[in-house]
Amino acid sequence: MFNYRTLAVMKRELREKLFSKTFIFMTLLIPLLMFLMLGFQTFVMTYEGDENTTLVIVSESEQITEKMKEEFKDRPFVKNGYYKIDFKTMNENEFGLFLNSVRQDLLDEKLTGVVYIPESALQNKNVEYFSKNPNNNVVFKKIEGIINSALVDLYFANKLISTKDIEYLSKSIDFNSFRISRELGVEKEGYGNLVVSFVLTFLLYFSLIFLGTMMMRSVVAEKTNRIVEVLLSSVNPLELMVGKILGTGITGLAQMAIWLSPLILVISTNWFTLPEDFIFSIKLPYILYFLFNFFVGLITFLGLFAMVGAIFDNDQDAQSAIWPVMMLIMIPFFVAISLPSNPTSPIAKIVSLVPFGSLMVMPARMSITEVPAIEIIFASIINLITMFGVFWLAAKIYRVGILKTGKKPKWNEVIQWLKYSG
Amino acid sequence: MYALEVKNLTKTFDGLTAVDNASFNVPEGSIFGLIGRNGAGKTTTIRMMMGIYVPDNGEVILRGTKVGQEFKNRVGYLPEERGLYKKMKVMETLLYFAELKGKKGKEIEKKAEEYLEKFDLADRKQSKIEDLSKGNQQKVQFIATILHDPEFIILDEPFSGLDPINTNLLVNIISEKKQQGKVIILSTHLMDFAERLCDHIAMIDHGKIILNGQLDEIKQRFGKRNINLIYEGDISFIHQLPFIEKITDFGNSTGIKVTEDSKIQELLKLLIENNVTIKKFDANDITLHEIFIELAGQEENNGGLHHV
Repeated sequence: MFNYRTLAVMKRELREKLFSKTFIFMTLLIPLLMFLMLGFQTFVMTYEGDENTTLVIVSESEQITEKMKEEFKDRPFVKNGYYKIDFKTMNENEFGLFLNSVRQDLLDEKLTGVVYIPESALQNKNVEYFSKNPNNNVVFKKIEGIINSALVDLYFANKLISTKDIEYLSKSIDFNSFRISRELGVEKEGYGNLVVSFVLTFLLYFSLIFLGTMMMRSVVAEKTNRIVEVLLSSVNPLELMVGKILGTGITGLAQMAIWLSPLILVISTNWFTLPEDFIFSIKLPYILYFLFNFFVGLITFLGLFAMVGAIFDNDQDAQSAIWPVMMLIMIPFFVAISLPSNPTSPIAKIVSLVPFGSLMVMPARMSITEVPAIEIIFASIINLITMFGVFWLAAKIYRVGILKTGKKPKWNEVIQWLKYSG
Repeated sequence: MYALEVKNLTKTFDGLTAVDNASFNVPEGSIFGLIGRNGAGKTTTIRMMMGIYVPDNGEVILRGTKVGQEFKNRVGYLPEERGLYKKMKVMETLLYFAELKGKKGKEIEKKAEEYLEKFDLADRKQSKIEDLSKGNQQKVQFIATILHDPEFIILDEPFSGLDPINTNLLVNIISEKKQQGKVIILSTHLMDFAERLCDHIAMIDHGKIILNGQLDEIKQRFGKRNINLIYEGDISFIHQLPFIEKITDFGNSTGIKVTEDSKIQELLKLLIENNVTIKKFDANDITLHEIFIELAGQEENNGGLHHV
């Protein structure tokens, strides 16, 4: 099965793919695209769009107004000019008139909002907010805590209580997340692992579809160009298929290694310092597992794509028949990308242990949570068995299919091919 | 001594028997013609000989042992439907096909250069296949067929789509290879070419071998009572002669079959008496075309059988 002829086929595939413009372009473009996507996502997540917020904070008593002025004046969003806040003191009637006078400004959004803090707020913390968009979380989050602590301060002023106690009272809780792993110690966790998990899943998905489609096209092309008959006068179909799959497989592995090189460098050197939020706890053995798993998956799917390519003699027919194979890539992909919201979901666990699904979901699971070693070994064995099974099936179909041109074969004919001898 | 013995090959596709119990022998050092109209089973037979198709029944013996990879390594095959990688360069293509046969290195590269020179393609060796004309692509494919110096050269309809100059070039190379002691098997529906080139033939029709053996012997066997005539004038009167069995018009010559050997001289006499100018009167000569029609019937109009 593996000899100089297979090697010659493999070398040709490598030369053709590795040095093709598409390959070089894709190898460079994909990481760029991903950085853009991630950058965009981060931007959307952090961008609050609350520059140019203008607020009027009206209090019923001078005492409260002074306190508010004091609390707000050193806040960064006030200092950098994003928020412009006016402080006024009015009683309830005056406030009613005032609100009427600024109604138009509120509607035109020249004024973002008006906060009214009555004297009674010192008893019941009821504060009123008037705005065109009264449910704007961004603004609420910024001012809520500050008003609260100002009110708490006033309430306890002149009472026998220490400033330390007041500080405690006015502080809300702050969640810090830590990842518990089997290894000793706990690590502070940022978004890092989620990002890495997403990136790896995406690369896996993209690479399988990209290289698989390339493989299918190349098999169909050899049929339509009639090269296959010349080739078969020198090699047997299995040698040809193995050579093509290995050639494309190695191309894919090289591409993936290039894509992962920044990650490997971050892990194994200290040339880069990541922002605290992006620190991830992925280690080199995981990357090695990922590459191994990727190669097994790639060979498996290349076998399937080659098989479908061999059945048809034109791209359209092959494209329209490839969807079951596509599903085998897409369903696990969706499971894998939804993993961060619930890493321990039983669906994810099951999919990570079944043929085809395991190829994408297991690495994603491993990057997010701790997976027992036995499950990883089990998944690897399943994947290897699947790979050999697919190979056996693909070889049988390929052998007959590549010489069939003309009429589009029916599925029961294809099943008949499996029974051909020799 | 036979180089190849084809024994009882049979192949059925979806209930249709493409090749039916075909047996023939290919002698050492011969140019062997597998002839028959399109769809007769020539390509299927060749594919089975090459091991591309697995026969339902029968076998092919190469000098005493069943053919396998060993045979593939020693054969150069030009399929009827030509194909090359369009994006590959000429030299790259040639070296790749040689490598598949286990031949590589400087030696082969030099030989490739020589052939390219011979076929007037020396300046195109770095061109992509898709940038070549169709004729030049065929030449490249032919070089790829013979570059690894195969002992057996199998050419399936080698002349289809070739212009006269390239046809001559190919004919010359085939003769040259025969002189080097190679075995050449060519399949064709062009009886003229087969007659000019081959010394052994097998005639196939509807999947069955209907005739095979040495071409000279076959012609002798079928040639009795046959005349090949080239003339000027009007010979329509001979249609009325009682001893004329059949007249076949080949355009530049005419084949005439008489009922008895002894009538040949009488025919010559009558032709002269009727003022027909005789340029060639070849008794006991028959064309392969006539033999084919005699054996396979008058289906040449729809079978694609025609003369060049």
